[in-house]
Amino acid sequence: MSVVRIASVYASLLGTYGDGGNVAALVHRALLHDIHVEVIDVTPGLVLPRQADLYVLGGGEDTAQVAAANALRTDGGLTDAANRGAVVFAICAGYQLLGEHFPDATGKPAPGVGILDITTNRLPKRAVGELAAIPNEVNRELGLTQILTGYENHAGATHRGSGVEALATVRAGTGNGDGTEGSVSGRTIGTYLHGPCLARNPELADRLISWVVGRDLPTITEPEVEALRQERLKVVLG
Amino acid sequence: MARKTRNKLAIGAGRAFSAASRASKRGEGMVVGGRAMLKISPKLIDDLSGDRVWALVSSTNGKTSTTRLLATAAEQAGPVITQPTGANMTAGIVTALANGPHDGHAVLEVDEAYLPQIMPATRPKVLILGNLSRDQLDRMNEVAMIARKWRTVLDGHPETVVIANADDPIVAFAAERAKNVIWVGAGQVWTADSAVCPECGALLVRGSSPDDPSWSCPGCHRHRPETSWRLEYVDGRGTAIDAAGKRFDLSTLSLPGRFNAANATLALAAAVELGLDPIEAIARMSLVTAVSGRYAIATIGALTVRLLLAKNPAGWSELVDIMPPAPTPVIVTINSNAADGRDPSWLWDVPFERLRGRTVIATGDRRRDLAVRLLHAEVEHVTIEDPYLPDADLPGGARSLDAIDCAATYTAFHSLRTRADRELQARQGASK
Ligand SMILES: [Zn+2]
Repeated sequence: MSVVRIASVYASLLGTYGDGGNVAALVHRALLHDIHVEVIDVTPGLVLPRQADLYVLGGGEDTAQVAAANALRTDGGLTDAANRGAVVFAICAGYQLLGEHFPDATGKPAPGVGILDITTNRLPKRAVGELAAIPNEVNRELGLTQILTGYENHAGATHRGSGVEALATVRAGTGNGDGTEGSVSGRTIGTYLHGPCLARNPELADRLISWVVGRDLPTITEPEVEALRQERLKVVLG
Repeated sequence: MARKTRNKLAIGAGRAFSAASRASKRGEGMVVGGRAMLKISPKLIDDLSGDRVWALVSSTNGKTSTTRLLATAAEQAGPVITQPTGANMTAGIVTALANGPHDGHAVLEVDEAYLPQIMPATRPKVLILGNLSRDQLDRMNEVAMIARKWRTVLDGHPETVVIANADDPIVAFAAERAKNVIWVGAGQVWTADSAVCPECGALLVRGSSPDDPSWSCPGCHRHRPETSWRLEYVDGRGTAIDAAGKRFDLSTLSLPGRFNAANATLALAAAVELGLDPIEAIARMSLVTAVSGRYAIATIGALTVRLLLAKNPAGWSELVDIMPPAPTPVIVTINSNAADGRDPSWLWDVPFERLRGRTVIATGDRRRDLAVRLLHAEVEHVTIEDPYLPDADLPGGARSLDAIDCAATYTAFHSLRTRADRELQARQGASK
């Protein structure tokens, strides 16, 4: 593996909530591990690259979410990528649109891309605030050991079908709405964690990279990140 | 009770409330007083407005500065009524009208969400619409929704001349059906919140270079309107150009940056529409050095700072560009109280990479979030709880600057101003 190719998918539509930071975090972590990366900025209207190793989708507002889901279904490249085992990592609106359907601006179900067997409808009350969740042990391949931390801001209740595991169990916040947070199926991961997620959870960033390079990565801790993690976890868990 | 008597009573009560608020040092009392007035006389804004409201200004960013520029320019024609503090919702507006000079004309700043209510009550001669972008994340105001409300209210006011920024597709959508529009090419630095057409949801097509402001919608065929006025900004010098091609030099402005030149261009177009002399307008606007404490030089603890305020990612992007070049150190202060936005993940939308080559002093309640952001942006930084203490461990050069730039979120900015004022009073008290 000479270089990890990261596709940043429709950042102008999905990624208006600081989620561009997830790509920045992947680049940053890869460099720490002496792994070369190439970022492909897929602006809306461009064909999705078929050869990328890791596809990143962020959050966005309702109208942008519908536009992105429609464009991705028409393109077909993301579905192919997931089928051939590429890593797909999606946040919030990006997470919802990977499923079968999600609510549009009026609350009606809009068709998703269908990569994850999940459906999303509206929560009775919008979930806004810090989110902390313990990684699920069932996701052995993922093998996360550190509590996940981030900020959620969404109105979606996400329901998993068979074959989709939850990413984590909620300790503080709302997540999927049923006590779980996020979804994992194969190498596709969706989560409600903003933060951005991968900057606040470098273990998860490293795991995504290690999936691509096919080897475990050594633990590297950065004091700034650790200080932020401890501060946020103390705020929500006491 | 007769309406006139009721209004008199309302104004008297409002002034009493404001005075009490000032006496207890809880602020300038505009909001408290205004609320009291409106409780007694709900139609007071209509009655006080008459036909003396010259201009309203609404925009996500720059409305306070644009209002101050236009209000200052308008003084060439006599006294002007305006808010001194940017209290831009109903209570602040009614207080300004009630307490302003009787023979004055009003130039008022209006919160974006309050415009649909303030416009019918004040019936302004001109309305300036600058830009619309996401404000605090968890306030959840979809910009397209506000634009739709603006559009509806403009339908009902054919008498008002709308001065609108053609470079912001959301503003253009809001203003396009108004009977009288003067389009201004004021620029749009921040395009992230207008990726899709507010009407049909299709992806907007943008000009191919940063100098090309054009935009169009492949879905409903909307496009950037032809402009009458435009801003040209080259090497830090702004020039406003009118429909006839006449050029107005804006390099005399004291307020820094391209975005203030854009604010001045909008204000100038409005001034001309109001029958004011443009040359005198620019001369007067050039005297504005600080707006509600923004850009003001203040002493805090052991440092002299230039205070800069930004309330959202668009505003932050602008501030990053007006800071002195590297290696000059700067202070960045991030809070996450309700008025700042509880979620600081917007830090990742701001191009802090442009601060590379210097050391940033990260402070505020969320300095740790900022430190992680700066780490990823490869910007040297130190995290300090209180950089104003005489023994704070600051990077080299920070103490030898005439004034160090200090950019802050809303509540951080206000607590710094309060601290500066308090320290100033203490020094003056001591020297007496
Ligand atoms: Zn359209």
